Amino acid sequence: MSRQSSRGTALTIASLIAALALALGLSACGGGGGIGGGGDKEAETVKLEGKPSGSLTISNWPLYIDSGTVPAFEKASGVSVKYIEDVNDNNSFFGKMQPLLSQGQSGGRSVFVVTDWMAAKMRELGYLQNLDKSAIPNVEANLAKSLRHPSFDPNRDFSVPWQTGLGGLIVRKDLAPNIHSVCDLFDPQYKGKVDFLNEVIETVPLVMACEGVEPDSASEADWTKAIDKIGKAVEEGQIRRFTGNDYARDLTSGDAVAVIGWSGDAVQLQADNPNIEFRMPTEGCSLWSDNMVIPVGAPNPTAGEAWMNYVYDPEVQANIAEYVNYVTPVEGVKEVLAEREPALAKNQLIFPSEAFTKNCFTQPKLSAEELQKVTQAYDAVING
Amino acid sequence: MTLRRRIVPYLLLGPGTIWLLLFFVVPLFYMAELSLRSGTFGNYEFTWHWANYSEALDLYDTQLVRSFLYAGVATLIALLIAYPLAYTIAFKAGRWRNALLFAVVAPFFTTYLIRTIAWETILSDDSPVTKVLHAIGLAPSGHVLATGGAVIAGLTYNFLPFMILPIYASLERIDVRLIEAARDLYSSAAQAFWRVTLPLSAPGVIAGTLLTFIPAAGDYVNAQFLGGAGNQMIGNVIQALYLSQSNYPSAAALSFVLMALIMVAVVIYIRFAGSEALMGEESR
Amino acid sequence: MSGESRGTRAWRWLREHAVNMVAGLVVLYLLIPIAVILLFSFNDPQGRYNYTWVGFTLDHWAHAFSRPELTEALLTSLKLALLATLISTAIGTIMALALVRHNFRGRRLANFLIVIPMATPEVVMGAALLSFFLIYNAPPLGFETLLIAHVMFCISFVVVVVRSRLIGFDRSLEEAAKDLGASPFQTFRLVTLPLIMPGIFGGAMLAFALSIDDFVISNFNSGTTVTFPLYIFGAAQRGIPVEVNVIAMILFGTTVAAMGFATWQQARAEKMASVRPDQEAAPVSLGTAAAT
Repeated sequence: MSRQSSRGTALTIASLIAALALALGLSACGGGGGIGGGGDKEAETVKLEGKPSGSLTISNWPLYIDSGTVPAFEKASGVSVKYIEDVNDNNSFFGKMQPLLSQGQSGGRSVFVVTDWMAAKMRELGYLQNLDKSAIPNVEANLAKSLRHPSFDPNRDFSVPWQTGLGGLIVRKDLAPNIHSVCDLFDPQYKGKVDFLNEVIETVPLVMACEGVEPDSASEADWTKAIDKIGKAVEEGQIRRFTGNDYARDLTSGDAVAVIGWSGDAVQLQADNPNIEFRMPTEGCSLWSDNMVIPVGAPNPTAGEAWMNYVYDPEVQANIAEYVNYVTPVEGVKEVLAEREPALAKNQLIFPSEAFTKNCFTQPKLSAEELQKVTQAYDAVING
Repeated sequence: MTLRRRIVPYLLLGPGTIWLLLFFVVPLFYMAELSLRSGTFGNYEFTWHWANYSEALDLYDTQLVRSFLYAGVATLIALLIAYPLAYTIAFKAGRWRNALLFAVVAPFFTTYLIRTIAWETILSDDSPVTKVLHAIGLAPSGHVLATGGAVIAGLTYNFLPFMILPIYASLERIDVRLIEAARDLYSSAAQAFWRVTLPLSAPGVIAGTLLTFIPAAGDYVNAQFLGGAGNQMIGNVIQALYLSQSNYPSAAALSFVLMALIMVAVVIYIRFAGSEALMGEESR
Repeated sequence: MSGESRGTRAWRWLREHAVNMVAGLVVLYLLIPIAVILLFSFNDPQGRYNYTWVGFTLDHWAHAFSRPELTEALLTSLKLALLATLISTAIGTIMALALVRHNFRGRRLANFLIVIPMATPEVVMGAALLSFFLIYNAPPLGFETLLIAHVMFCISFVVVVVRSRLIGFDRSLEEAAKDLGASPFQTFRLVTLPLIMPGIFGGAMLAFALSIDDFVISNFNSGTTVTFPLYIFGAAQRGIPVEVNVIAMILFGTTVAAMGFATWQQARAEKMASVRPDQEAAPVSLGTAAAT
């Protein structure tokens, strides 16, 4: 019996070693390029072919479009559209797409929508194509002036905003009437009742700003200090959770009295609970946009650009803005909506005035390496 | 043995083995190779970088311990809850047996995520359940969500069927006459249970425990929805390393560390519980 | 026993039924979230979020399939689960037979191979598989890759369930069949298979549930295909539409009904084939086997 079992063990060990050798050999010739691979660093411009046709696959965030725009586009252009809502989170979308993109593939998608900093990161890795601006005249004409030269894409070479929004405070005014700044969230009287966002670019600049630091000119030490402050709050039980959009649940049930959140959600939440409102932090808010981009390996960039052009028509965009309740990047929509739904046109969260957003800042630009470092530090805090 | 007789087991094993080798083992060894790389994102190079492993153990020991703790407690509670139910279904249910089995398995068909999210509603601060728990002293701070307790509760709930079914399966196979014989020999109901039923159901208990503990230790969904800051498990860390930091070598190393630790726990457990019961060494 | 006091009788009743009561409580516990999901499927929220009770409506039940992406995701999940169950149950059952009934070289290795997938975090399995599919550039990410992944993680569970049924299986029935002249294959088909059918069925049920439920591995290997759990996870961030609750309930109800039907059939079949101790005659099926 013991001879059999030692033979069995030897067999097991031998086969494990063989398999390891096999895998090492396989990966050597299979090409380790699949993991962490750079694509082509010189970005190409999309090659357009005449009239848009065929089929188009678009990846977007959930609940980010009304129900009529896609069918209307299909009818107007003759392109059949597959619209998937699988961008739940910039990082996990990146994690899913990265192996594909590094090999020059996009999994069938011709357009997807990611936030500024993710678009910048993907661009640096060579995963995005430059746009052919001749096919998107509506964008050239109607893009809001404040969005024309963002720091991550100064000439709007590869990105076109889909929607933009404000990141700030959302509070239960019945439970926490006195919160006016992100620093107020660290007040012990709200212990265990505040949520922060799990995206480092959304949260830490706000914390830095409330401490008086300008996010765009923050040094690495500033970032570290802010992250440490958040880490300390976690240890003391001050912060209840780090969330994505699901802070909505905590606010609704009163489990959280104040969160860092996004303007569009506040509009929606207010519909069911008038006690929930967006508060512009005294130090200002963060302005972000989600951008349409065309990845490498896009099967139908012609139709993709036709789509971009289509949604920049103010009449079309008005439908989207009505449903989505974020800040539209297209000029002329306010006038269209003023006739249809005046209340919406006056809403500061959807059509913010200059005065309203005077202290707000766009997301600071970080190099891929810096982004990696702060993400790592922030993740250590979140997952501590 | 005839040639045909010798080949039969290999033929039976063939399809499954090939499938598992090709789609499980090979990718895993590929990940092993990945775990020995180092560098920055964009060019990870193979350098036999064993430090990934020691770093993983070093940086994330808190989460590892916490995960094993949560999974262990959840498994224990699941065992205590599952056994009476499995017992009832096996011995006392009669006509209701199948209905009860459905009741056990049916929640599975409403999707893991929705069930967990339903618990968010049930355990939220202003729900009656939380208020009752607070009143009887089980929730001193007034909230249940965003605590370790909520995560454990979620793990227990979600893996309960994994505990109930194996125990039921082995209880159901027990020959009732053995228990009757024990009673005939003057043992009380309790003694009959401890000395006859329980030992005979050991394979099921062992299988159920393993099937519950192992996935629970690597879970992250419960911690994400029901836990708060400071309740995150090792699965959350791996997810963050892989998806949010794209730090594939560390993610791969940490995954192997987790798997190794689970294996160690399993081996110890099986040694303790008796391997024949588990592996079913029945050869003719 | 007339001498017993009411207290003692009550205590005795309690002890006898204690186990049943605990079991009843556990069943209740299992079904509470289902009740909550059901309740909120009748909710009528104004905004996008379905977190607090606003009002009762049957609207969402009437228009449960009004969201094409949701319906498509559901159908995809069902198709996937069905196929994955069939394949993995077949493969897993024959593996279990080999492992329990035969002694052969490499058996410990095979046992080991079965157990490891269950000890691997899903994140790891998902990511590893994705890299594998990409290196070899085939098949394209989508339904096929999802199917491969689902079968992969279901096999182990089927093996474990069927194996636990096979251990301690009374071989004397099979030997009786052989004594009566049945060939090994006939014995398998007419005696063994029906008797281990509950185990196979259990394994199949488990495989189906695991496949329908799977989120993590699917997320990595789905390409542009959206399964039901993937849809829900996306929606969970922005507000789960009430239709999701409705569909979850429909799924639940349908599966329960299907299982009920299948088990009812099974029970009928078992009744017809069972050996009654007070009868002399061999079971019908064995008699047929002997006659041929």
